[in-house]
Amino acid sequence: MPPPTMRRKKIPWLPIIMVLGAIGAVLVIGAQYTDRGLRDAAPRAKGANVAGAITPTDTFKGDLIVQPIAFSHKIHAKDNGINCLYCHTYARRSKVAGIPPTSKCMGCHTVIATDKPEIIKLTKMWENRTPPLWKKINDLPDFVHFSHEKHLRRFLFDNAGQPVERADQVCAMCHGDVKNMTVDVKSKPLTMGFCTRCHEANKGPSSCTACHK
Amino acid sequence: MSSLFGNFFANWDRYRKSIEDPGYRDYENMWAMAIDLGSCIGCNACSTACYAENNLATVGEDRFLARQSMGWMRVERYWDEPSLGASDPDSQERGGSFLPMMCQQCNAAPCEPVCPVGATYNNEGGLNAQIYNRCIGSRYCANNCPYRVRYFNFYSYDKDAWPAPLNRQLNPDISVRDKGVMEKCTFCIQRIRAAKDDAAREGRALRDGDVTTACQQTCPTQAIVFGDLQDPESRVRKAWDAHQVRLGTTEQKKTNPALRGYRVFEELNTESCVIYLERVRDTDV
Repeated sequence: MPPPTMRRKKIPWLPIIMVLGAIGAVLVIGAQYTDRGLRDAAPRAKGANVAGAITPTDTFKGDLIVQPIAFSHKIHAKDNGINCLYCHTYARRSKVAGIPPTSKCMGCHTVIATDKPEIIKLTKMWENRTPPLWKKINDLPDFVHFSHEKHLRRFLFDNAGQPVERADQVCAMCHGDVKNMTVDVKSKPLTMGFCTRCHEANKGPSSCTACHK
Repeated sequence: MSSLFGNFFANWDRYRKSIEDPGYRDYENMWAMAIDLGSCIGCNACSTACYAENNLATVGEDRFLARQSMGWMRVERYWDEPSLGASDPDSQERGGSFLPMMCQQCNAAPCEPVCPVGATYNNEGGLNAQIYNRCIGSRYCANNCPYRVRYFNFYSYDKDAWPAPLNRQLNPDISVRDKGVMEKCTFCIQRIRAAKDDAAREGRALRDGDVTTACQQTCPTQAIVFGDLQDPESRVRKAWDAHQVRLGTTEQKKTNPALRGYRVFEELNTESCVIYLERVRDTDV
């Protein structure tokens, strides 16, 4: 029998493991219940100036996509002050904003700027009945239910502080500063994080099935 | 830590409330069904309508026999003839009994807690929602479902289930699922969403009858009633009340034994939202 001084002190492993396990379980489970991950969610700087809304600030650098006709948003929406909803007329009543039909272009361009080369190209297309095949810039995946109409109702038509004439500010929340672009490029990420950050800041629905289908 | 306990007590409070008042209060809606088995003729039209509405893949006979069918709704058949297994020849019934079986949209769904990624959850309409993008295909939910109404997508049906012209008939309001996700009946959530959008556009509350599921729409005998249980005037609530079926109980206490309503596997406390009105038998039993 060894002398008492040589005897190793018995470490109570079992209670230690149980206590550590309990602490670990509380930490792991507690982490799932805290809202720590959401705290940074509210956009920090200010983006588009929409009354009564916190606007997203994320940016994205999209590729420049060559369109069949070098259509300039700047000339139409900024220099001539045409409301976005004049051409994208479906946005206020349906899920998609819509590309205007060639007849809408020709409504003005039978008399305006008929000598410009791009308009001559457009007129030729109109006469040949081969409308320009515009390429899509801002696209959402097929599993997402997104409605332009609901967002315009929330931020424009049911938003007392936002004049209807400044629809472009509302559009700019997700489409960027299209007004100053000569050719539209995708300038907002339009990812799920982009959507949910804005939904959290502006108290939109947070249920998965509200958007996923 | 405080939010942990706050969350715990909030959930506990909600749980207690649901026991004391087996009601429907914490939800925006409580979508439910009542299926009259006395009217069901087992024609499978509901199943076909579900295929058309929800972009379900037709898998073919071989895969069907391998139990890899993708139909979200099936009509179960029960034969009571003695030659087919019923022991007592006196109690035999002419023909078969039919039971349309789809996801029962349990409020205490056994499939939900076992999902490792939280792809299935109880949404604000009382539905047991499935988020396909989150699903990693572990199939735990299908194992835990007592009704066997979750279907696993074994193959990339989007490639071969709808050859060239048929892909034009796909419903754009619901995604085409790919290989490796679990699918199930959603009570036609795309129709619920559309009806809610319409109601919001017109600035009114959702009315009974605004939402019609595909199976209900196509049922030739109108055996299926669908609606919101929270609306005391809805047809489905009246059907539940008329047969004294309530949420929040594991055993329905009926004052009149002639009342027919029951829920499948009620004793498992899954809180399912589909009641079946039992068939009236024309035999002595």
